Amino acid sequence: MELLLQTLINGILAAGLYALVASGLALAVGVVGIVNFAHGEFSMIGAFVSYLLFVGAGIDPILSLGLAAVVLFVVGALTYYGLIRPVLAAPELNQMLLTFGLSVALQNLALLLFGADTRVLFTPYQGATLALGGVSFGLPPFAAFVLSVGLLVGLYAFLGRTRLGFAVRAVAQNRLAPGLLGIETQRIYLLAFGLSAALAGMAGVMLSVMLYTSPTVGFAYTLKAFAIIVMAGLGNLRGVIPAAIVLALAEALVSTYVPGGGGWVEAVFFLVIFLALTWRSWRTR
Amino acid sequence: MKKVLVLWVLLLAGLALAQTTVRVGVLLPISTVAGKAALNGVQLGVEQVNAGGKVKIELVVVDDGNTPATAVPALTKLMTVDRVDIVIGGLASGVTFALSGPVKQYQPLFLCIGAASSVVEQAFSDYGRFFHYHPWDYHNVAAALEFFKYLYENGARRVAILYEDGPFGSAGIQTYRAQLQNQGYTVQAEPFKTGSGNFTAILTRFKAFRPDILYWIGYDVDALPIAAQTRQVGLEPKLIYGAPPAWPVGFEKNRLSNDVAGMTAWLPSVANNESRRFVNLYRRKFGEVTDEYMAPMGYVIALSLGRAVEAASSADKDRIATELAKVQMDTPFGPLSFKPSDTGRTRFQGFNQSIWLQFQYLEGSRRPVFPANRAARPLRYPGNY
Repeated sequence: MELLLQTLINGILAAGLYALVASGLALAVGVVGIVNFAHGEFSMIGAFVSYLLFVGAGIDPILSLGLAAVVLFVVGALTYYGLIRPVLAAPELNQMLLTFGLSVALQNLALLLFGADTRVLFTPYQGATLALGGVSFGLPPFAAFVLSVGLLVGLYAFLGRTRLGFAVRAVAQNRLAPGLLGIETQRIYLLAFGLSAALAGMAGVMLSVMLYTSPTVGFAYTLKAFAIIVMAGLGNLRGVIPAAIVLALAEALVSTYVPGGGGWVEAVFFLVIFLALTWRSWRTR
Repeated sequence: MKKVLVLWVLLLAGLALAQTTVRVGVLLPISTVAGKAALNGVQLGVEQVNAGGKVKIELVVVDDGNTPATAVPALTKLMTVDRVDIVIGGLASGVTFALSGPVKQYQPLFLCIGAASSVVEQAFSDYGRFFHYHPWDYHNVAAALEFFKYLYENGARRVAILYEDGPFGSAGIQTYRAQLQNQGYTVQAEPFKTGSGNFTAILTRFKAFRPDILYWIGYDVDALPIAAQTRQVGLEPKLIYGAPPAWPVGFEKNRLSNDVAGMTAWLPSVANNESRRFVNLYRRKFGEVTDEYMAPMGYVIALSLGRAVEAASSADKDRIATELAKVQMDTPFGPLSFKPSDTGRTRFQGFNQSIWLQFQYLEGSRRPVFPANRAARPLRYPGNY
């Protein structure tokens, strides 16, 4: 029973980081309609911002969260203006090739600037552990989970309770009609893409604390983020946390209870994508 | 005055004629810490050789990108555009394996700095101009098993092995498990995806096994998550022992690295004359001390090549190879001489398991702890995790 409880907690806490990465991707897909393959590289930039601020200026990653969000918002806004906006009307394949190219370019730029080395931070709380009854868990994954839930609740509130949020939702539903009502569609897209990048940047800061910083750090989590947004329904922000929890729990249960299950982790999320798509197509028949 | 001038000209011409010049290609992953350290070592060694005046080594450096896709064209360029006859390179096994075909095609004298996998040994088994300085993987296993034997004598009985499920981690896992069991250990082994960052589930599974030693065979990206999550799930092994090809930058400054043990071929604290000399030269040239063993490995390759060229008095690669095979010298790792490899597959093997030492992280640095004759301090067992 204790093992099951520990496994469930492991899974739920792992979902925090998954959801943090996936929420930005869901926003880009849901509002701008762009499948952003460079989302993981935005996280990588966030991780490097955190690492460089820590090593260069001694700034704790917790304090870097806000700064990374601002930096990545600007990066996202510039990306939108310079690259995404010109291809918004182009076929989806062109858009995907563009973001894929951006992903490769950013990764190689990081390689040129920082080299291929894996770098780790050294904060006093990376190994901090909380124990409740017979189970224990790390403070950083717990903080990532709380941060993720907090950010998504904030995002829901913004989308559901503010005029700007209503405008974002309107643009997400229809690209033309909101423009006829005086909503500046391009500004909304820019805001949404910037927010998406900012969320990726904050996820990157957490990656730098919990894992490492390197030019490829974002890649593995982007794959999981794609699985999560497919499961949640493309662009459905409300489905992100439940989908992340299902994916992370599936991984944790397989790793714990299936002998040699650690090697099956990637198969689990591909299986999840397969089942979600199959079930959705069967349901809509 | 005229006579003096003529004498000077004759003297300089004589020196130039007596000096043998060779162009050497250097093919390394210079964007990685290990590759950069290796290049620094090669350059330092070449500087020493050239300062002697009898041999002049000119380096042509290219980046192998740590990937076959970059390394193979880079080697082709070295051979066809830069027209070198000697190549120093082959750090990563996967890359070196991919280079085996082009090397056999262009036939350079290939001085291999790393590439421990026996797959590489097999790939170069029919190539006579292959000098492998680094120990092979079976040497690494032998050195690690020696350490595990020592731990067994100190009461360790259960080993949990966490191995990455790619070629690096899983290739020898069954043999490893069997050898540990032969030593008397009870072994539980679980695979993982390197870079996944999430080990809590597998570590939780290990809790019931209550291992004395958590042994992970993976990459640098896994080091911090494993050290952190071992504590987070309350696993409490008596020793965390890691075997990545490189450790992450900054890991030594992280307090989670305290008492984590691993294996290396050299540390700056190694007490022999050649090691001290290397550390001083390195500090003078680069203004820092490295603890990457690829730096002295590159240095040793350059020095041994210099000796061989001097003995051959020729830039001919076969004459240099003949002299290199006879080289005997003291190095920061200990004595170097070339013999056939233990399996007999390759003819020129430099170092073996005797160069490996076990270290433990403590308060910001790696300290040798085993074998006893090379230890700077006793092993902390059980460690505090």
